[in-house]
Amino acid sequence: MGIDIQKLGVAYGDHRVIDGLSLKIEPGSFFTLLGPSGCGKTTLLRTIAGFIDAAAGRILFGDKDVTGLPAHRRDIGMVFQDYALFPDKTVNDNVAYGLRARGQDGATIRRKVGEALERVGLGHLGQRHPAALSGGQRQRVALARALVIQPTVLLMDEPLSNLDAKLRVQVRDTITELQREAGITTVFVTHDQEEALAMSDRIGVMKSGRLEQVGTPSEIYRDSVSSYVADFVGAANTVEIDAPGAAQGMVTVGLGGHSISARVPAPLAGSRAVLIARPEDIALSPQGTGGANCVQGTVSRRQYLGGKTHYLIGIGADVALAVETHGDGHDRYMPGADVDLSFDPMKTLVLAS
Amino acid sequence: MSRGIGNRTVWWWISLAAMVVMVVFLLYPLLTILTGSLGGGDRNGWAQLLADPRYLEAVRNTLVLAAAVTSLSVCLGVPLAYLASRYEFPGKSALALLPLIALVIPEVIAAQTWLMLVGNNGVVTRALRSVDIILPSFYGWPGLIVSLTFTYYAYVYISTLAAIRGFDVQLEEAARSLGTSPVRSRLKVLVPVIMPSVMAGALLVFTMVMGNFGTSSILGGKVRLLSVMTYQAAVAEGGADPVMQSTLASVAVGLIVIVLFLQRWILSRGRYQVVQGRNARPVPLSGRQGWLIGGAAGAVVIVSLMPLIMLVTGAFTVSRGPVMRWGEWTLANFERLLLTNPTPILNTLIYSAVATLIGIGISTLVSYMIVKKKNLFTPALDYLSTLPLALSGTAIGIGLAMSFNSGWLHLTGTGAIVVLAYVIRRLPFSMRSASSTLYNIPDSIEEASISLGVAPVPSFFKVVLPLMVPAIASAMVLTWAVTVSELSASIIVYSGGRETMPIQIYKLIDSNLMAQASAMGVLLLAVILVPIFVATKLFRVELFSSR
Ligand SMILES: Nc1ncnc2c1ncn2[C@@H]1O[C@H](COP(=O)(O)OP(=O)(O)OP(=O)(O)O)[C@@H](O)[C@H]1O
Ligand SMILES: [Mg+2]
Repeated sequence: MGIDIQKLGVAYGDHRVIDGLSLKIEPGSFFTLLGPSGCGKTTLLRTIAGFIDAAAGRILFGDKDVTGLPAHRRDIGMVFQDYALFPDKTVNDNVAYGLRARGQDGATIRRKVGEALERVGLGHLGQRHPAALSGGQRQRVALARALVIQPTVLLMDEPLSNLDAKLRVQVRDTITELQREAGITTVFVTHDQEEALAMSDRIGVMKSGRLEQVGTPSEIYRDSVSSYVADFVGAANTVEIDAPGAAQGMVTVGLGGHSISARVPAPLAGSRAVLIARPEDIALSPQGTGGANCVQGTVSRRQYLGGKTHYLIGIGADVALAVETHGDGHDRYMPGADVDLSFDPMKTLVLAS
Repeated sequence: MSRGIGNRTVWWWISLAAMVVMVVFLLYPLLTILTGSLGGGDRNGWAQLLADPRYLEAVRNTLVLAAAVTSLSVCLGVPLAYLASRYEFPGKSALALLPLIALVIPEVIAAQTWLMLVGNNGVVTRALRSVDIILPSFYGWPGLIVSLTFTYYAYVYISTLAAIRGFDVQLEEAARSLGTSPVRSRLKVLVPVIMPSVMAGALLVFTMVMGNFGTSSILGGKVRLLSVMTYQAAVAEGGADPVMQSTLASVAVGLIVIVLFLQRWILSRGRYQVVQGRNARPVPLSGRQGWLIGGAAGAVVIVSLMPLIMLVTGAFTVSRGPVMRWGEWTLANFERLLLTNPTPILNTLIYSAVATLIGIGISTLVSYMIVKKKNLFTPALDYLSTLPLALSGTAIGIGLAMSFNSGWLHLTGTGAIVVLAYVIRRLPFSMRSASSTLYNIPDSIEEASISLGVAPVPSFFKVVLPLMVPAIASAMVLTWAVTVSELSASIIVYSGGRETMPIQIYKLIDSNLMAQASAMGVLLLAVILVPIFVATKLFRVELFSSR
């Protein structure tokens, strides 16, 4: 079942945290809310869950208006950052909890619990208490507990952020796999852009209570609608420039005394704009060999990282761009070397500042 | 927010109900006291108070006594806590008994045993008299100060100990590495950190001394004290003085409130932080130094324990009226208590059991709402439930007696008013014990249960309450222990046939029947200790884990 959020407003007392937010999430899709700390991701998620009352607007699961429905009757599954396992109950009892609440019979419960634990790879740990599990195992139990009730929607608030880097990738894969398999509409909250890009069907980037952009991972990454989004999703060079004439489409802008072509995806307003170029989209070549659409610069810092090299390259007096190179000879330029930086006009964006 | 009322109303109604109960049984009696002092025709209580030098003297004496006992308690409690946390020495484990002693020995018993030792007819007094040494009378200032100090200093000890234990030794080491000498660096760093706890313990002692009735009345002699005069105004034979009793109770309330505000002000001004970190590993002391320090600490413990030794001895000693025949043993004292008049014992058991159950029930629910379900009422509930701290037992007793002696809720003469006095008097205590683990239970647990389809209130009972059980169990045992020994409020509200054990002990001491009083004291200790023992040993309840 899909989720349809219409003109939602949420406030803590007088403090409006979410204001007029609308969003449609496709049935069975994996939707990620991405944004910096304090932008309202948790608030939005908990409002969908029913733990916070909406001050305005409506929330629909499929065709059903759930705005006034208390959380325990919304048929949701929820996974928490701190696992929220019941510490006094065994893993089996934790997973069985929601099934018991639904009055299912003992044999069915045992079968479903067994299957759910098998699916997260913990079939053998049913008798343990949560305290005797590792962080990754705990979050898998929490996932099994949320999925075993076959909820209409699955809500997860930074479920990976308490895990260390390696476990994070493992549990992340488990989540994606199970979600695909069960086909449950999922809303996932994170402030980790890599997680968002890797897991989601669609991503909503939030900025102080509003959705700044909603789109597929590549849309968000390639066609960011603002420097805020571009900067938040992956590293991006952002350079303040004079706005080109009111045009949309391909334009020519000045950068460090040179002219380069770039793309304007959305109409600009005002006299200033930002040029956005991702480090891996800028190619380096020895001075004078850059061809069209390039500017000259000087390597000021070089950081060798094995499969790739990070450079910081000064252009003129007050612009410095980060560049990342791959492939043969990616580490060949030394600090002080003069180089040409070539831009791909399609991947170089000019956005409103 | 108009929508989604469904998941709020239940807690909202419960907190409203709790609010009504607190207003009726706590706020209303308090207001009755305050307004009562304004009665009395053209000369209201305050005019009489100012006109009569005896009352002002009582106020002054009470403050002087509280100050003296508090200072001595700090002098005794702080060094002892430092020794206990930093050094290892022979006999140190005896120090661990202190918190329990402080909590367990009812102060009436302590006062009584001091009398049995150094009172006019005491063992030590008589022994010295036989070699022509005449001790000064223990009644009055000496008795008050000595007995109250040994009754209350453990509160300073406990809170200081907790602070020193939680203090990061690294801080101290850092200070030392900067070149200050060990002693100076210690003082420089440690003192500001433990200061708030010392202060909190000291002010607690100050308020407890101001509200103290039992010891003050038994040992006070000719020294006029506020609590005793208030009590006398309330129960004086030949007609109580309702205006004066409420005026004096108001004064007591006012003084304690001032002290509590002073405490807040001091603590907020200092911007102290709770430092948590690595515990200091106690340094073993041995040889002369070890024995010296161990001996000093041991002496303090023994003096603290003396009431117990004296009590047990007295309980089994033959007596004829007030005369104790030391060295002759008997069980007659117990027989008399258990066979001829067991009512006080039964009363204590019943009233305390009911009060403990009600108190813990209310505390669990209210502290849960205060911590987890904040709404319009919860801040007020929070304040109201700590209000009894600002009321001496005598004031609570007077407030209840005045409020419920007629009208729609007539409780005077029933056991219910004693139970009510117990519940109210110990409410802050049971609240604190019950809420101690609530902060460690994440909100998400409850939300997880709700998200799995269980409604909010059943969720509380299914997943939150089980996690609170250890805290509730220890709160129950501790509340029981402090409830059975309650004297100052119950002695005002009880009526004939409703005596409790502490009241009976007080009466026996008053009639100078020390042997019977001792026997009753031993029984009272058993009533306190047996549940503690059963809970800690059989059910492994950790009494002080949360402190
Ligand atoms: N209970 C509350 N009362 C008042 N304000 C709140 C409350 N909870 C959150 N806020 C405020 O609402 C805003 C959004 O908070 P929210 O928790 O939704 O952010 P978030 O995007 O989840 O952040 P994070 O990534 O740090 O978890 C913040 O400004 C926060 O201070
Ligand atoms: Mg959050």
